[in-house]
Amino acid sequence: MANYTCRWCRSQIDLQDQVTCPRCGAPVDVRARETRSGWSELPAIPDMARIQCGRSTCQIEGTFVPVADFNLAPGDGVYFAHHVLLWRDASVTLGTLPLRGALKRLFAGMPVVMAQAQGPGHVAFSHDSPGEVVALPLQPGMAVDVREHLLMVATLSVAYEWFPTGVWFQTSDGDDQETHYPLGRYMDRFSAPHEPGLLLLYAAGNAFIRDLGPGETLLVKPTALLYKDASVQMHLHFERPAVGWRAWRTWGERYVWLRLYGPGRVAVHSAYGRFEDPGTNLAGSSPATSWSWGS
Amino acid sequence: MDVGSRIECQWCRSQNLPDASTCVTCGAPLNVRNLVSDSGWREAPRLRDMSEFRFGQSTCQVEGEIVPVAEITLAPRDWVYFEHHVMLWKDESVPMSVMPLPGGLKRALAGMPFIISIAQGPGRIAFSRDASGELVVLPLPPGQEVDVREHAFLVASHSVAYSYVRVKGLKNILFGGQGMFMDRFVAGGEQGLLILHGYGNVFERTLQPGESILLEPGSFLYKDASVTMQVETQRLSSGLFGGTGMNLARMTGPGRVGIQSMYVHHHTDD
Repeated sequence: MANYTCRWCRSQIDLQDQVTCPRCGAPVDVRARETRSGWSELPAIPDMARIQCGRSTCQIEGTFVPVADFNLAPGDGVYFAHHVLLWRDASVTLGTLPLRGALKRLFAGMPVVMAQAQGPGHVAFSHDSPGEVVALPLQPGMAVDVREHLLMVATLSVAYEWFPTGVWFQTSDGDDQETHYPLGRYMDRFSAPHEPGLLLLYAAGNAFIRDLGPGETLLVKPTALLYKDASVQMHLHFERPAVGWRAWRTWGERYVWLRLYGPGRVAVHSAYGRFEDPGTNLAGSSPATSWSWGS
Repeated sequence: MDVGSRIECQWCRSQNLPDASTCVTCGAPLNVRNLVSDSGWREAPRLRDMSEFRFGQSTCQVEGEIVPVAEITLAPRDWVYFEHHVMLWKDESVPMSVMPLPGGLKRALAGMPFIISIAQGPGRIAFSRDASGELVVLPLPPGQEVDVREHAFLVASHSVAYSYVRVKGLKNILFGGQGMFMDRFVAGGEQGLLILHGYGNVFERTLQPGESILLEPGSFLYKDASVTMQVETQRLSSGLFGGTGMNLARMTGPGRVGIQSMYVHHHTDD
């Protein structure tokens, strides 16, 4: 009988003497920290907290650059980008996850090889930068969209697809035309088609989540997006000062935003990568809204 | 003092007075539980801001937590050595000199520090490696030998002898992540102090004789000299588009192995 609903992963669980949620590792005894604007700070998973995923467990170790240490049951497995592997027992076997569209992935700068590890035994992962591990237990039918390169590891019960973001704009400078993808060309989609699964993401800095109501909209820096529910729609939004055409040509006076539409959950991280906009003339873009200040 | 009332430090096994809150030998907090994962990795103790510990007649105070500083108050006749670029500040009165090192040409070719500096007491001197991470304090009992990845040591006391060992095997040199040499620190006739800087979080595991574990080479931080390292390559193929080679270092006991979670990533042939 469930006696506790995790406010982060919404799992309904029968809490005994645990101090962390067994599905996502979030502490159960902390007060929700919500900003006045409605963002909830994702509490860091406490050092040595355990997350149950089927017959296997995952223990989060460290606080600064945390490690996800899986104890894989026989037959259970996980997949990951090969460079996040930190160590493994000799009993854990490594292989590759078949991926479709390898050529497109190659051109898009996405990992062509997705490695997989199969139990029994321990295998551990770390993204070699300070930040947080975000654990997303996926129930059958759930799907989340994750910005590229932020996957840390997922259990084999989680399906992996990728799709074009459809978010781009073109700039021109003389005869030169350049296409920019503020969110990357492709986005990862993770879903649990048949049985529950566990998805671990890496968030640089701190992670914040927010639930958008139907039609509710929000502007975020494109590179700050961590993940969103598949139900959340997005497109570009430009802002600039209304002080004449030359203002378009200088970076710092044109702002490129990602507009997100509810319903659904969105998450951002605080240490985002910088997106370079040359500030030259805007020649075209995917569907976008715009606003000139002072107009 | 009653022996039974002493507190043993779980990190360095030193004995402490019953009212001590941090270990007098390594600075580890004594009143927090030992963090050991299910797989057997012990988390290096997170040194509290401003905690102090002793070596010889000198003391070391740890300051800050994100990029921690080791501030040493050197007693007269005590001295420490370090790579010159990790020195943060010093009293004007602290004299400096250079440690004579054998094999200077080999070291220069291997990218190892060519000059190791010495600071002599009395006076204060402080060190920090300009990166986020943890200080790992390793008090070395007489006769103990520790191998450390190059450029990971912050400072060592005069009673610790410094040398280097050549990494054996071409594959280990090319793909082991350590280059051609590893630093070796050996405590002579008396206990010495070795302080390392680990990127991110640091974990230690003790391997039994013959027990082995496979590590990302860039995560290796230190090991007892008795632990052997052998690089193994696994090919991860993706059919038509090739794939990638994954190099992992097989560490075989007996002895301790220390790793860092923010590893130095070494490019593979993808």
